[in-house]
Amino acid sequence: MKQYAYYPGCSLESLGKSYQVSALEVARSLGVELLEIEDWNCCGATAYFPVDELLAYTLTARNLAKAEKTGLDFVAPCSACYKNAYFTNSYLQKDADLAEHINYALEADNLHVNGTSKVRHLLEVFINDVGLEEIKDKVANPLKGLRIAPYYGCQILRPRKDHENTENPQYFEGLLTTLGAEPIEYASKARCCGGSLIITNRKAALDMVRILLQDAVNNNADVIATTCPMCDVNLEVYQAQVNREFGTHFSIPVMYFTQLMGLALGIPPARLGILKEQVSSASLLAIAQNSNQERTL
Amino acid sequence: MVDELSFSYEISNLMYATHGEPITNCLQCGTCSGTCPAVEFMDHTPRQIIGMIRADLKDEVLASNTYWTCASCYHCTVRCPAEIDIADMMYALKRYSMWKGSYQENLIGPDFSEAFVKMIVNSGRSFEPLLAAAYLPRFSARDIIQEGLMATGLVFSGKMPLLPKKIKGLKRFQQMVKRIIPIGETS
Amino acid sequence: MSERIGVYICHCGTNIAGVVDVASVSKWAGEELADEGVVISRDYKFMCSSLGQELIQKDIKEQKLTRVLVAACSPHLHEKTFRNACKGAGLNPYLCELVSIREQDSWVHTDKVAATAKAKAITSGGVARVIHHEALEPLLVPIHPATLVVGGGIAGIQAALEIADAGFPVYLVEREPSIGGHMAQFDKTFPTLDCSACILTPKMVDVGNHPNITLLTWSEVQKVDGFVGNFAVTIKKKPRYIKTEDCTGCGICWEKCPKKVIDNVFEAGMGNRKAVYVPFPQAVPKYPVIDDVNCTYYLKGTCKACEKFCPTNAIDFNQKAEEITVEVGNIILATGFDLFDARRIPQYGYGTLANVFTNLEFERICNAAGPTGGNIVLRDGKTVPKTVGIVHCVGSRDRNYNVYCSAICCMQSLKFAHLVHERTGAEVYNFYIDIRTPSKGYEEFYQRLLEEGTRFVRGKVAEVTNAARVPEEAGKLIIQVEDTLIGKQRRIPVDMVILSSGMQARYDSKEVAKLFGISCSADAWYIERHPKLDPVATMTEGIYIAGCAQGPKDIPASVAQGAAAAARVMGKIQQKEVSLEPVRATINADQCSGCRICNNLCPFNAILFHEDQMVSEVNPALCQGCGTCVAGCPAGAISGTGFSNEQILSQIDGLLMLNRSYATVSVEK
Repeated sequence: MKQYAYYPGCSLESLGKSYQVSALEVARSLGVELLEIEDWNCCGATAYFPVDELLAYTLTARNLAKAEKTGLDFVAPCSACYKNAYFTNSYLQKDADLAEHINYALEADNLHVNGTSKVRHLLEVFINDVGLEEIKDKVANPLKGLRIAPYYGCQILRPRKDHENTENPQYFEGLLTTLGAEPIEYASKARCCGGSLIITNRKAALDMVRILLQDAVNNNADVIATTCPMCDVNLEVYQAQVNREFGTHFSIPVMYFTQLMGLALGIPPARLGILKEQVSSASLLAIAQNSNQERTL
Repeated sequence: MVDELSFSYEISNLMYATHGEPITNCLQCGTCSGTCPAVEFMDHTPRQIIGMIRADLKDEVLASNTYWTCASCYHCTVRCPAEIDIADMMYALKRYSMWKGSYQENLIGPDFSEAFVKMIVNSGRSFEPLLAAAYLPRFSARDIIQEGLMATGLVFSGKMPLLPKKIKGLKRFQQMVKRIIPIGETS
Repeated sequence: MSERIGVYICHCGTNIAGVVDVASVSKWAGEELADEGVVISRDYKFMCSSLGQELIQKDIKEQKLTRVLVAACSPHLHEKTFRNACKGAGLNPYLCELVSIREQDSWVHTDKVAATAKAKAITSGGVARVIHHEALEPLLVPIHPATLVVGGGIAGIQAALEIADAGFPVYLVEREPSIGGHMAQFDKTFPTLDCSACILTPKMVDVGNHPNITLLTWSEVQKVDGFVGNFAVTIKKKPRYIKTEDCTGCGICWEKCPKKVIDNVFEAGMGNRKAVYVPFPQAVPKYPVIDDVNCTYYLKGTCKACEKFCPTNAIDFNQKAEEITVEVGNIILATGFDLFDARRIPQYGYGTLANVFTNLEFERICNAAGPTGGNIVLRDGKTVPKTVGIVHCVGSRDRNYNVYCSAICCMQSLKFAHLVHERTGAEVYNFYIDIRTPSKGYEEFYQRLLEEGTRFVRGKVAEVTNAARVPEEAGKLIIQVEDTLIGKQRRIPVDMVILSSGMQARYDSKEVAKLFGISCSADAWYIERHPKLDPVATMTEGIYIAGCAQGPKDIPASVAQGAAAAARVMGKIQQKEVSLEPVRATINADQCSGCRICNNLCPFNAILFHEDQMVSEVNPALCQGCGTCVAGCPAGAISGTGFSNEQILSQIDGLLMLNRSYATVSVEK
């Protein structure tokens, strides 16, 4: 059993409930143990940086310190939490002054952080640590004929961690192919969904969502797969608003990649939080189920 | 000894050192603005903002809605040929404007951030309905109704919490926060 | 018997005298350093002037000076001047030392009292050192009259022709089957719009026919031994599988060859060639080569159509590579450049979107002998574009790729714009950050393009995509860019995108540099001796560089550098022997333990190891006197003439002014 210090993030307990539920199911099924970090706090997402940088890093550092105590890799399913954790961790290693400041604050909570954890996103933990070969072996219901638009979004890719390909990554497509599905090529796969602009500048965010939906639909996607609860909410929950604002008629299901993985692994949809969306995924289930003769429970 | 720091110098200081090259390196090539997915909604393009900062046009920059329209997608940052972290610069401008209390009227961003910070300090976790109080007042009646309908739908699918959560170690957490900034203030 | 030392303190106008009290330094040296051997001490306004030099010469004769110490500017500037002055008066030039009280004193301090004290210390150090100087004679090395030119592009061709025309033998080595380089691939050249092949091929033919040029194409240099004036170069002639003594260049072999191969070199992947081929019709030499990687005979053992049809029986499938060694006196490296790989910028769509082309691909499209017969068409080979977007600065001026500017892309992009206007009447957009048109006729060319109605958009292209958002964009390539002059993001639909990819050093430039004992910069271009004043020489005597191998440049500059390198070589050849600075290291064989640590430390490959005696020896012709081995030898067995341990330690003692009355210095607050 591979173990990880799991940081769900606030969204996974509310708006991103299906992500939480499906992530844990898939992890269990693949022999991955996600051990929730004890008494974690909100990472601040993008809302803290406009106010105070040091405090923003400190919030995340508290969670990193708790993870360090377990000695396990820090895994976040939400791209914003992931990005905050990754860079806080990296700056702690590079900047002794910052580390000193933050540790002074953490002292008040009996904590100390060294920046020694490895920070991972749930998606690449499945791809790199479990491996596509093993996942393929466990696929009970290959999602044959299901055209999935892999939506990376921004913060899982950027800012750049090392010299990896941030313009045209292919690892998400690799996973979807392993699940038996047909990932589609579309230009906006790494284009921003608007993030918190959905609150602070709704018009801008709705336009950005519209462009994404349009691109996925133009390329005949049956479903959009997401890796972040913010992106998922913007693309799915606000689809109706997009239609109202722009006179479009989008009705494309949006699901977390873990839900799709769960379907492929043969986990019943109810346990994956499926059919609890604003934009019904019934059509998608129909495709997924039609392409398989039997489902194992 | 310099009497007064120029605006461009102030902003440079607010950008954390390890992020990238200084904004003085900007070639004004326009890659950032050509890439930005939100640029249509900004009154100045990111490149223009950098130009304005370098020209020390403090008031104009602070009065612009550009940096509050940034979604921090970092696409500009990874493409910039001068390796300037532009998204981080936008955060620096946000912080500066909050500190000085100087920004465009009717923007939701500043209030939203402030509410978010207060909420975290008070509970350690985020709670969507509380945040609504920060932005709903600026919505039109029709939009408020739509927001309400959507929230109701989310409640029914179990995705909207009705009660806020608090972390267990809240007291110590607040002590920790206090060591960075005094609780209750936003600067 | 102590030496008789003359000390000369220069004012350098106010450069030194404005901060250092030169008169007091001179007086102090004359009095305080008399016990070291100073017999005369002067100060003068400009020591480097003829009057200043004459002062020294007069003193040498009248005062019978055996050593001269000048305290003035940096040795980089006037060491030679004062050495020559001494020589003129009959004193060995290496018995003169120049210490800097300008760059190292008056130019870097404002405290006059401290600066004057420092000048005294520096002078004292110089005096202590110069006592230990020895009379040295420069080394004279004979120059072999033959020259090796590596690289048969325009720079190499120019260099070879100049030297050969002057009557000296040249070996021109080129690793492709024909000379011509990148220039042979172009269609028109800016700003005159001369046809590239038309101006290049006469020179190529001259090279091919020249009695003094030994043309070695399809060949590569394997090893370089020796030193300036006496290089022994081993060249591998790759097998052409053609007997050149019998081949007439008739072309029947490539006509009959059934195997088509994508030509990734000359045609930039846009067209095909055969397994037996000449790269282009005007190839020099005219002999084809057989590509043994793709030829059916080498793959499967069958075919041999070329052999069947060759009228002179010139095919020889069993031909072997041949290694020859040639002796030359000088070497010119003119190995050219590679193109930046535009695939490294995925957002520009090269390699994924069909109608995105690189500059080299577009040159081949425009070329009348190219794969489309000179017609500007899309990848389908037939559609004429109605709108074309030309992207400047691809991979250049970008810290994510190459920081430098590639010098020619603006002009090249303008040229492309012109060709599109001329041949298609399409709408042309050029996307730029700056328009760089520095040379003769270049700005006028830009004006011409403005008059032709080219749409210039100032903005570095952010992305090229085929994801249409509105009906006008359907089926097109959309260029997304900020038009910085109006401050708006624009999406411009075009049919064809041309990327002006930048220049890069050759993929193997670092290995090649090592082979020849020269250095490369961090960007992998060869390094010149001085970026301003000596762009074609290198730090290694006898090795010169020319053309784009030294850095991005246009054809006129490449030609000029080729000619410049040739002139330098010819100057050396005319002198028949070259004199080398005697400042170099020597190994005391008695003290050498044969550990060979110095062998690998030497950046100039100047240290030999004698197996039989188990000692190392410095080759004085290659040694540049850098001192690395001197410092590295654990036994202290290496000494540098001109930088001996004795000289340096004495100078330090002199600087510290030990055992000397040192007026206490009060430093200004």
